[in-house]
Amino acid sequence: MKEKPATVFVVDDDEAVRTSLRLLLKSVGLPVETYAAAQEFLDQFDPDRAGCLVLDIRMPGISGLELQQHLNDRHSIMPIVFITGHGDVPMAVEAMQAGAVDFIQKPFRDQDLIDRINRALEKDREMRSQLRERDEIRRRMSQLTPREREVLELVTQGKANKVIAGDLNVSQRTVEIHRARVMEKMGANSLAHLVRMVIEAHREGG
Amino acid sequence: MSPRARTERSDAAASVAELELRAVLDAAVDAVIVIDSHGIIESFSKAAQKLFGYDSGDVVGRNVQMLMPEPFRSQHDGYLHSYLRTGEQRIIGKGREVVAQRRDGSLFPVFLSVGRVAKIDPPRFVGLISDITDRKRVVEALRRERDRAQAYLDLAEVMLLALDSNGTISLVNRKGCEILGWPEDELVGRNWFATCLPPELRAEVQAMFQRFFSGTASPTQYAEHEVLTRGGERKLIAWRNVVLRDERGLISGTLSSGEDVTDQRRAIEALQKSEQLLRDAQSIANLGNYEMRLPDGPSSWSMQMHSILGTDPAGGPLPIREYLARCVHADDRDKLAAAWERLTSDDAPLDIEYRIQRPDGSIRNVHSIARLAQDPEGSAHVVGTLHDMTERKHTQEEVRQTQQRLTQFARLSTMGEMAAGLAHEINQPLTAIANYSQALQRLLATPGAADPADVELALSQISAQALRAGEVIRRLRSFVKNREARTELIDPGRLIEELLVFAEPDARMNDIRIRVECAGNLPPVTCDPVQIQQVLLNLIRNAIDATNEAGSVNREIGLRASLDESGAVEVSVEDHGIGISPEVAENLGNPFYTTKSAGTGLGIAISRSILRAHGGRLAHRPTPDGGATVFFTLPATPGSEK
Repeated sequence: MKEKPATVFVVDDDEAVRTSLRLLLKSVGLPVETYAAAQEFLDQFDPDRAGCLVLDIRMPGISGLELQQHLNDRHSIMPIVFITGHGDVPMAVEAMQAGAVDFIQKPFRDQDLIDRINRALEKDREMRSQLRERDEIRRRMSQLTPREREVLELVTQGKANKVIAGDLNVSQRTVEIHRARVMEKMGANSLAHLVRMVIEAHREGG
Repeated sequence: MSPRARTERSDAAASVAELELRAVLDAAVDAVIVIDSHGIIESFSKAAQKLFGYDSGDVVGRNVQMLMPEPFRSQHDGYLHSYLRTGEQRIIGKGREVVAQRRDGSLFPVFLSVGRVAKIDPPRFVGLISDITDRKRVVEALRRERDRAQAYLDLAEVMLLALDSNGTISLVNRKGCEILGWPEDELVGRNWFATCLPPELRAEVQAMFQRFFSGTASPTQYAEHEVLTRGGERKLIAWRNVVLRDERGLISGTLSSGEDVTDQRRAIEALQKSEQLLRDAQSIANLGNYEMRLPDGPSSWSMQMHSILGTDPAGGPLPIREYLARCVHADDRDKLAAAWERLTSDDAPLDIEYRIQRPDGSIRNVHSIARLAQDPEGSAHVVGTLHDMTERKHTQEEVRQTQQRLTQFARLSTMGEMAAGLAHEINQPLTAIANYSQALQRLLATPGAADPADVELALSQISAQALRAGEVIRRLRSFVKNREARTELIDPGRLIEELLVFAEPDARMNDIRIRVECAGNLPPVTCDPVQIQQVLLNLIRNAIDATNEAGSVNREIGLRASLDESGAVEVSVEDHGIGISPEVAENLGNPFYTTKSAGTGLGIAISRSILRAHGGRLAHRPTPDGGATVFFTLPATPGSEK
């Protein structure tokens, strides 16, 4: 799947703030898309697009917090940096509890915002590569035969080949052959690696 | 002594007595007539002959009735028989006035006394008759004199009263009876002090009269004291007293004239009382009055004029020129002189406030009202009042300042509640400015990297946003600044529009929308825009709180301006919040009554007073689909309708 460049999505009802943010982010070479209202953003939201969201916490209609809730409901992983006003700390706390990566109070130094945006983008990249890794593990696991899956299951439970042979009522040699096929199919270079891949595959989400 | 001897002696004595008696009878001044038991004249003295004009021989042996006129003549025998039969004495031993008839038939008054001669049977009678014609005349003259005197007394319009030395009333005239309410015959003979004086005065007045009677004091020229009428009413009498002396020059009583001055005194007292009231009222009200004959006096000033002006009453009223120069504050002289000129030349009523500078340098604020009036003789004069307003001015000023501080306080307090929204409103342009300028720095740091269109946009936006922030702050400053009330003619729509700068951020932060509906044909109103915006802001703030408190789904506040049926401009704030309960409605507008945990309880109270000062009113009604609509009216400025 071909990746689009990571984009900074700005949602702010104040045109001046919105436009100035666009210019500021453009000046540091970040692709920017701006939206005047939360609904506008939701209408075009594509979970596969990389990037981060810079969101005014107070807006008429759907507020910043409500937009965050909508995105969470859609299992969005897009990191959110909230822009808050002077007296909005309680709301910012709420936003952080709901998974926002950061918040910044208006007015702010450009570098502070850019740093936060960069961290958010980094997180987005991490999240997306993690997701891609998990998808790969799951794809490899789907290529295992039922017997190989049983062996994988028991190996990652830390059981010795002899015990597994007993459990499956096969020879120890047969277990060793299945185990080698699993390591090969999964692309694991050690037992530890294999265990990590299984844990990753069982994680929620994605 | 033997009976015989006694008889002999009697005979001798009788003849002597007879001779003696005749001599006495003839010598007597009074007429002496002796009659027998049948009324036959036995003896007729010389005086009798002279009195009646008969000789003795004409009458002796004839009935005495010939000496009297009818009807006594015919009755006399009857009297005589009646006496002899019953012993009833009509005249004997008593004497009485009767009428006698002379020989010539003329009648004359006589005093008749009759005696019965003792021990003779049948009895004989002696009559003594004296002519009382002269005495009668004197008595009659005296009586007439007395009647005339009484008539004079009765004619007098004063009470005349004579007391004897015991204080007994010996004379009182008709007027006296009228005043005292007694008939004369009941009053004469009574004790004056006990009858006619109020109890508390008796001892004192009686002691005074005792001193007159004893001669230790002369009657005072004039005295006033109350008397008691028969009906118990008190009357104030002004007395003049003299003492009466008898023929020996001894004091026998007093004669007093008394004038009923009750009504007169009441009138005087009423007049004095009303004058005192006027003085008191002028003093309390710090009000003086003056009068001045045109063109330049004479004048009269009430005492209070001098009190206000600090001038010496002995100096009298000042002519207008001197008044202007000496009493009126230098800065106000021209103003007053011009008003005076208009009054005296054009008959324009004077109604003016100016300042007085007292001789001690202190300043008083006065209000003078004056009119032109005509004398009965036709010459013009000015009548006017001078009212010292200084204290009232001070009080008014204090009330005004307190009101202003409270209003200011309420404004700040409302603004405090809206601070978050306002901070947001200022932060927005500041954020934009920071963003633009920082973007520019970055763009310009790399030569050639900056798109000229971006640079231009950033620069124009920076100045626009700086102005935007400045405008918010300017309005905020003008709103919260402690300032003098200032009215101007303003379009209600503009008033609302300017207000939204403050109201909308607050509403937005509370996720509330303000919907403005302004009728198109609204006339301008004369008001202090900041104060009216303060009222509106307060109402909007309350509407936001009510909406939040109710957790309303309908988060819209209607802000309407329209004309009401009376032609006034009505501005209403309609919410869908918790509404106004009867309990709250009852206390609404009481200072310090609040339903908010952080409220001052001043918002509505101050809003009310602001509207009152604008000639408007503040009221509320339920919003048809729930919540409350609070509205106020402002009178449209006359003559400014579009």
